[in-house]
Amino acid sequence: MADSAGAPRPSSSVKLVLLGEAAVGKSSLVLRFVNNDFQENKEPTIGAAFLTQKCNLPQRTIKFEIWDTAGQERFASLAPMYYRNAQAALVVYDLTKPTSLVKAKHWVAELQRQASPGIVIALVGNKLDLTSDNAGTTGEGEPGGGDGDARKVSTEEAKIYAEEEGLLFFETSAKTGYNVTEVFTAIANAIPETSLKSARGPGAAGATSRTEEQRVNLNGPRDPNAKEGCAC
Amino acid sequence: MLNLSSFVQKAQQLLDPTQGLNLSDPDRNPSKASLFQSQFRLPSSQHPLYEITAELTIPPANATQGDKDHDRGFRYAGKLHISESYLCFSTTGSSFLQSASTTTSSIFTGQTHGGGPSGNGFTLPLCAIRRVERLHSQNFQFALAITTWNGIGQDDKAKDGSKDRKEQRITLQLAGPRVTCERFCDGLKKGLRAAVGNVGKLKKVISECYSEYLLRPEDKKNAAPPDAGLGMMFRYPGDPKKLRDRAKMRLWAEYLRDNGRNMTLLRQPTFHKLIRVGLPNRLRGEMWELTSGSMYLRLENPTLYADTLTKFSGQESLAIDEIEKDLNRSLPEYPGFQSEEGIGRLRRVLTAYSWVNPDVGYCQAMNIVVAALLIYMSEAQAFFLLSALCDRLVPGYYSTTMYGTLLDQKVFESLVERTMPILWEHLVRSDVQLSVVSLPWFLSLYINSMPLVFAFRVLDVFFVEGPKVLFQVGLAILRINGEELLDATDDGAFISVLKSYFVRLDESAHPKSENPKLRAVTRFQELMVVAFKEFSGITHSSITELRLKNKDSVLNNIENFAKRTAIRNLGPDSKLLSTEELGALYDRFYGVLYERQQRDLIIKQERARRAKSSRSRIPDMASSHDQAVEKGRVGLGPSTSLMDYDAFREFLASMSKWAISDSPATPRRETFPEADRGFYGSLNKRPDAMLSPWGAGPEPADHEFLRRLFVKWDVSSSAALTLQNVVSGLARIKGKRDIMGTINYFFELHDDDGDGKVDREGILRMSEALLFLSRRGLEGTLSPTNSTLTLSTMGDGSQNDVSGQTINERFLGSVSAFIRRCFEYADPDHPNNQPAATQKTTTGADTSDDQLASPDAFAIGDDDDDEDDLLAMDSPPGSPKAAKKAEPSSQHAPSIGRTSLSTATSTDPKDRRRVSKAHSERANIALDPSNPLHITLPTFRMVVLADELLEQFFESSFPASFHITEGLNSTSATSSSSLTTFSSLGLGAGRAVGAALGGAPGAPAGGRGLRGVLDNIVTDGMRVAQEVVRRMEEAQKELERNAVPGQRNDEDEEEDEDDAVAPGAGKNAAYLGDAERRSVRNSDRDLLSGADAEASDVTAGASVPGRASVGSEGSSGGISGGGAGKVVGVEFEG
Ligand SMILES: Nc1nc2c(ncn2[C@@H]2O[C@H](COP(=O)(O)OP(=O)(O)OP(=O)(O)O)[C@@H](O)[C@H]2O)c(=O)[nH]1
Ligand SMILES: [Mg+2]
Repeated sequence: MADSAGAPRPSSSVKLVLLGEAAVGKSSLVLRFVNNDFQENKEPTIGAAFLTQKCNLPQRTIKFEIWDTAGQERFASLAPMYYRNAQAALVVYDLTKPTSLVKAKHWVAELQRQASPGIVIALVGNKLDLTSDNAGTTGEGEPGGGDGDARKVSTEEAKIYAEEEGLLFFETSAKTGYNVTEVFTAIANAIPETSLKSARGPGAAGATSRTEEQRVNLNGPRDPNAKEGCAC
Repeated sequence: MLNLSSFVQKAQQLLDPTQGLNLSDPDRNPSKASLFQSQFRLPSSQHPLYEITAELTIPPANATQGDKDHDRGFRYAGKLHISESYLCFSTTGSSFLQSASTTTSSIFTGQTHGGGPSGNGFTLPLCAIRRVERLHSQNFQFALAITTWNGIGQDDKAKDGSKDRKEQRITLQLAGPRVTCERFCDGLKKGLRAAVGNVGKLKKVISECYSEYLLRPEDKKNAAPPDAGLGMMFRYPGDPKKLRDRAKMRLWAEYLRDNGRNMTLLRQPTFHKLIRVGLPNRLRGEMWELTSGSMYLRLENPTLYADTLTKFSGQESLAIDEIEKDLNRSLPEYPGFQSEEGIGRLRRVLTAYSWVNPDVGYCQAMNIVVAALLIYMSEAQAFFLLSALCDRLVPGYYSTTMYGTLLDQKVFESLVERTMPILWEHLVRSDVQLSVVSLPWFLSLYINSMPLVFAFRVLDVFFVEGPKVLFQVGLAILRINGEELLDATDDGAFISVLKSYFVRLDESAHPKSENPKLRAVTRFQELMVVAFKEFSGITHSSITELRLKNKDSVLNNIENFAKRTAIRNLGPDSKLLSTEELGALYDRFYGVLYERQQRDLIIKQERARRAKSSRSRIPDMASSHDQAVEKGRVGLGPSTSLMDYDAFREFLASMSKWAISDSPATPRRETFPEADRGFYGSLNKRPDAMLSPWGAGPEPADHEFLRRLFVKWDVSSSAALTLQNVVSGLARIKGKRDIMGTINYFFELHDDDGDGKVDREGILRMSEALLFLSRRGLEGTLSPTNSTLTLSTMGDGSQNDVSGQTINERFLGSVSAFIRRCFEYADPDHPNNQPAATQKTTTGADTSDDQLASPDAFAIGDDDDDEDDLLAMDSPPGSPKAAKKAEPSSQHAPSIGRTSLSTATSTDPKDRRRVSKAHSERANIALDPSNPLHITLPTFRMVVLADELLEQFFESSFPASFHITEGLNSTSATSSSSLTTFSSLGLGAGRAVGAALGGAPGAPAGGRGLRGVLDNIVTDGMRVAQEVVRRMEEAQKELERNAVPGQRNDEDEEEDEDDAVAPGAGKNAAYLGDAERRSVRNSDRDLLSGADAEASDVTAGASVPGRASVGSEGSSGGISGGGAGKVVGVEFEG
């Protein structure tokens, strides 16, 4: 680990796909992650959108190739085209809309059966700013009964489900940016080193050499070091 | 029916198989009508009725260009067509063989192959024709001068034709034999007469056309111009100067003045050129409407848009929710859509469309397309244009499965492979998925991909020339960027090359060129040139061909995905069924829906054809072509996922024997091969099968039981079942393999008000249902009086029949005993009369305690069977301890069970007699309809479990009768051999005897007699027990007539004992049959007399005769068998 400090970090690309009901904020999350921006009226995604963003971890750089898909139900049949070969997936729901969690569960099931084995899945409840326990202050907590709390999906419920299915879990706000980078960093950390072999990026060659050390790191995906990692 | 199938055959011969327009099968052989409609962009109500070669002459004043011949104007040779309400002419419509006459021509290829009105000519609504005169001409036999209503909307006062308006007058010279010409003119006359009434509609439609305002003399432009879109309020996108909008407008004004506007427009070469350079803002909407043909849709029903909004105002739907989500997200950068005005228009158009086309509803991307349309046209115009898009221009793009989108992506990929093999190879090598890039291009018609001004230029051409334009432009984009794309090695690089290309479309294509003219060419112009010159080979027919080629694989992919998803989302009940069963249910469910829709359509078409042929003599074979012909196929977006009652019957008949009708109203095929897994493909190969109302399958029965099942499964009371309903319903019957569950379910099925009680009517209905379900024999695991055993003991194949038959006959006995017992143990509806134990109803599956409390319970207490019982044979008779062990163990230990049961039954008749005597007295009253009574679930369970065969029925036979995975097809072989039906049952006794006597196992008439009677019992909804009795007695007589008299023996009791004690030997078989026969008769009597207390002494001894042979197997066989026989004797002795 120490020997890599001075040298350029090995870089590898990771294909990541975003799935979730329409208008839960998939594109907004990507926009926040990639451009640190937010648009009130983001056009619905037609088919899919493609963006890239780098994420610097202590030992390596992950270049995310992000496939942002369309959320409407009928676009679901296009999804296999996009999650093909994906190493990571962000399954997003809107925590002010219970149906969107149901849909998210469907996606998780679909991915677990149809996507590449070993795909890293993160469950993300978005629009945290609309709840009273919002935007970076408390993070998670009791769904307060305060005014303007639009929360309809409790943290508990989603968390339990995520644990059962072995998913990473976050609540975010694309609007305020709360927790957005953390999601991607956690995913970057959770990608097994072995699945990075196929990386296409120029630095991909070096990626395989540190398998052992990475393993160690894997165990603590939310390692504080990793948090500062993403350069965005 | 004969007519119908020959019609289909003929139609297939007549259609040209090489042409294809759309996806569905008639499109594979597109009819003349659909090509005609596509070429002239006419609504599907229009059919080519007459056509003739003709020469169009446009007088010089109208002419704008071409070989000027001042004397005679401009001439175009082409084809003139007349449909119900249109007169159309096209130079490229040389669609008929030279020699073809109107009646025999069968090939209509149309040079544009349905691509659109690219030739010169016109599409005139007949109501826009003011006058037709016949001219005298030397060259031609017929010449017509046509005066149109051009400008009718212009001057309100001048009906007399004021001086400043010049009439539009064209001449048409018809070429052809006199008869043909005359026939054509007759057709025209007829059409014109009919069209007179539509002038009002015409006026309404054109009043919303901007061209009318444009051509109005300056001094009359006082009124506000018609709505030409949000652009009038919020400016049109792009710089009008740069777009040279004014110049374009002037050119168009001139063209329209000379050649007619909107409905009366004549297409000359200039028209197409003007479109290629880009439409002026205020005319754009109208020209889109005209070239796409949506204006003709509007003419058909000018108020449809407003009417739809009114009709559905205030209603909610899923589509509306989806629309709301996207309203703020549609071209948000255009100011019009940051306002309530723009959002409101968008909401209304999308909502109205979702109502008129609920199959499509709303699809993301439609919001973007409609938003774009609304910049240039009114709401109503956008509404109809959206229809034209979804139905014809980009069919299937926005459907619920988006098969059109996926298909066109495959087509696009193959075109790339074909035209740019190097690039294609590169894409494959670097694992770049082209459709990922190109799908949004097609889905949003480039509106989302290019800057708006350029996207609209693409649309200008697209509406005239059709979907091929999307492909041509896409290919040109790739060709132009080919070099750079070859350097891109991943999706990201690939996409960014194209992204940066799109933003620089307005730059010079040759910035470094010396030639200023070349320098002035923008990248967009270059794109258009490449698209339409280099890729001019991409025609409508080449696309159609590729669509056909890829259609199946695309649909299969979608269907697999849909199936996977659907099965996964069927809810917790579905876990009770296996994956195979769920898969098979899914296939059956949608298979039935699909087949039914196919049949409906064909039958409808045939009806339409008949209606038509009675009106007109034109044999327009496939005129009733309908795009929806493949509706119902899942991949195309299931037009329905709801199963109505008839479909449900058909669904059941595909997997359960009892659901097949005995007396089909329509002749049934000998074999009814079930559609295999790939129904979709196979169906079309046997069109005749689809002409029967039930297709190739057997006619389903229509019995009250089916109706009850349907209602029970229909949890939302919507008169239709979803797949989910079906799965949940079947899961409860088949999933748990729990006899108590099944018994409860059967009870609930007949407990109409859910109060836990079933009344007299209900009891009769239940027994009727039992008869209905068993009339084709029982399936599943039954008492082991079956072949292996009898074979080994008898060594005579015919004995199979005997034992099989006896089961069915025994079941009949069981059912009649069931009725009797139900009445016997029923509770009167007078509360004071009710025995305490049965007052409360328990629905739990394990209610042994209740049972114990009831004095009736003992009757079944001994009924349970497992090895413990066998060992504890000396346990107290009627021992209630084992009362309610609902274990399937009896399935594999039938002989043991039998033994123990027999032991029990043989040991406790005394008890029983005592109790049931009291009961039977009540039962007498019970038969009196004026004495209301009911049974409760515990009573019902008790009565069922009191009878071994009934118990087996619920435990195994009933659940097993749903052949979910294998269907009836594969079991039919076994069912006919090992399972007996009433038909064989009927002749059972006779045959058994016959066989024993060495006679041939023929089919005595008696068989049919009994069967018929039973069928009647089942179908005519027997309501009264006496009725059952009467008919059964008839049946019995019938049987007796067929039986060999010598075999009769009235000393039932002794005889049966003999049977049991001395099993084996052919004689036994004969006796068995005889005993069985008697049991039927006796049970009849028993029922008949009802009050006969002595007869009903023993209540639990049903289904006995079959036991004899089993008894012989067990160590205690002799005794138990004897006991059983005794029971029968006692029970049924009159
Ligand atoms: N308040 C709030 N609004 C958000 C947030 N994220 C997204 N939105 C809004 O939600 C709407 C939908 O966001 P998108 O990012 O387009 O949603 P999407 O999931 O990409 O939708 P599709 O592309 O249709 O599948 C937009 O109007 C966003 O402005 C958030 O964190 N908080
Ligand atoms: Mg999106």
